Amino acid sequence: MYELFIALRHLTSRRRQTIFSVLAVGLAVMLLMWSQAVMVGFTDEMYSKTVDTMMPHVTVEPQEGEDYIHLYRNLIEDINKIDGVIGISPLLVGAATFEYKGKNKNVVMRGIRVEDHDSVMFINDNIIEGSFRDLEVSPNSVVVGDALAEKLDVEIGDTIDASFPEANPTNLKVVGIYNSRTPMDETLAFTSLSTVQDFLDVSNVVTTILVRGDDRERAQEISEEIDTLGYPASGWKETNPEIIQTLKIEGTSNAITLGLIIIIASFGIVSTLFMSVMEKTKEIGMLMAMGVSRRSIMRIFVMESSILGLLGGLLGVTLGAALALYMGSYDYGFEVMAGISSIPFVVRIQDAVIIVLFTFLINLIAGIYPASRASKLKPVEAIGRD
Amino acid sequence: MSEKYIIQIKNLTKIFGDGVEIKALDDVGLNIEQGEFMAIMGPSGSGKSTLLNQIGILDTPTSGTILLDGVDVTKMSDKQRSVTRNKQLGFIFQYHHLLPDFNALENVMMPLLINGVKRSEARKTASKMLEEVGLGDRMKHRPNQLSGGQNQRVAIARALVNKPSIVIGDEPTGNLDSKASDNIYELLRRLNREHNQTFILVTHDKRMAAKTDRTIQLVDGKICEDSRNGNDD
Ligand SMILES: Nc1ncnc2c1ncn2[C@@H]1O[C@H](COP(=O)(O)OP(=O)(O)OP(=O)(O)O)[C@@H](O)[C@H]1O
Ligand SMILES: [Mg+2]
Repeated sequence: MYELFIALRHLTSRRRQTIFSVLAVGLAVMLLMWSQAVMVGFTDEMYSKTVDTMMPHVTVEPQEGEDYIHLYRNLIEDINKIDGVIGISPLLVGAATFEYKGKNKNVVMRGIRVEDHDSVMFINDNIIEGSFRDLEVSPNSVVVGDALAEKLDVEIGDTIDASFPEANPTNLKVVGIYNSRTPMDETLAFTSLSTVQDFLDVSNVVTTILVRGDDRERAQEISEEIDTLGYPASGWKETNPEIIQTLKIEGTSNAITLGLIIIIASFGIVSTLFMSVMEKTKEIGMLMAMGVSRRSIMRIFVMESSILGLLGGLLGVTLGAALALYMGSYDYGFEVMAGISSIPFVVRIQDAVIIVLFTFLINLIAGIYPASRASKLKPVEAIGRD
Repeated sequence: MSEKYIIQIKNLTKIFGDGVEIKALDDVGLNIEQGEFMAIMGPSGSGKSTLLNQIGILDTPTSGTILLDGVDVTKMSDKQRSVTRNKQLGFIFQYHHLLPDFNALENVMMPLLINGVKRSEARKTASKMLEEVGLGDRMKHRPNQLSGGQNQRVAIARALVNKPSIVIGDEPTGNLDSKASDNIYELLRRLNREHNQTFILVTHDKRMAAKTDRTIQLVDGKICEDSRNGNDD
């Protein structure tokens, strides 16, 4: 591999240009690596703030043409056997009008099994007064959102009248108030499964089953398995396509901008390479006279730009990762984002590898033009007249 | 008959032309035997360098053929040309054209490395070659740390290290004083005798030409004189 020997020597001989090129590419790559770490970090943070706490990973619905899932206990047993499932919550949902001392409000009543629902939706984390557990203890009780409580002007211990056309009117005692910091707080009320069953005058049915897996990325897998059990199931990505969409657009435009910066930095390499081809015209002619083929001349110069790209890529990724890790471990003492006081950088090996490969390839391609110019020189003309 | 000649040139014509056409070589015919030590002379612009570049397959003729060891070089692919240049030809120019980023030893190793010889073996062969040209103590010096004559000797070592059957030199001593130039001449002569390599040297130096076996005079792209010098041993 004498081509590599020559390429490396060229690079070490014009040390200043080499260092400058590597630094230019390295800085661009550093920016890309750093911002990728921010992107991944914030995305991750956002997922764990939304998908992991506020959304079920998988939602199972009644079979087509049905209003309810009838044999839900059997279905739950089958779902429980699926690998990776860590929580299953059957729900019976019904509309109702709540009335308290002349104030009324249309709400969605969600009948739950408290333990099960907490294993999927972590509702207990949101309770601010009373408790969800009391739903199971006293029949005809309800937990309302703080916004709803305010609208109806109810407190713990008050009794609300619940009614709806074709439903059995009933009284519900407020046993808890929750706050999930979402619009749900004004419209969603929790009761026990049996309370809603009595209200809707049905038995042994649910409208939905919510499932949580051990990893949100497995949602698709799990939902496909439930599909094979005969019930339509959808992962959180299907039920909330807008989340994925937003993140994707942001991530892509970010990557494009920074990719362009790397390409621009690589242009620097092309121009130094061009200069070196001009400088080395006689040398190239002499190499040809010594028996170096055009293909090998090409290879020498492409190697030079690729090596510069590789070094710049490695340097940039290292700097970017180091900077991200440093900034990520730093406690800013104030809230950077709701509830966190450090920036959630996530440095992923696969990002680093992809960025280095991308930089390497860009520079390899960038080197082709000056290299082909070098390889097309005519030996006599290159050596020139003495 | 043809096996006797290592170089056979027939009807070789080279025309340069950007608007005005210049016939640098005009229907040249020439046969050269293995082991000949010959000089090409002639006035400036007579086509000496052009002829040498043709023999060295550094350029393509307008018409005519050149056979090196019986093979027509005008029909070779780029790959074949490079291999032939590497294994069969050695070049020495007026200016040494050493690779500036490599030291003397590495410069001499280069044709071997290009030929695929292993690094360690190339180093051995190249240092022996450098010792032969009297530069055993300058192997780690780069061209800018050596004198003109020393660089020229490195260039000679490089031209000869692959044991090419043909060595061409375009005014190889043109940049040197007569003392250094005599030394180079003696060196080439000795190598020619020891290895029976063919040497074709362009020179303006009558004294030097007289010491070769054969001298060709070129005028206006034509050979006008081809004489044996009686220096054969
Ligand atoms: N690349 C070229 N383009 C156009 N004309 C050329 C080219 N190379 C050589 N010539 C012309 O061809 C003729 C022969 O040139 P050549 O270099 O072979 O002469 P030479 O005998 O080596 O002369 P000198 O002793 O000065 O080196 C000259 O008239 C020269 O101008
Ligand atoms: Mg000349």
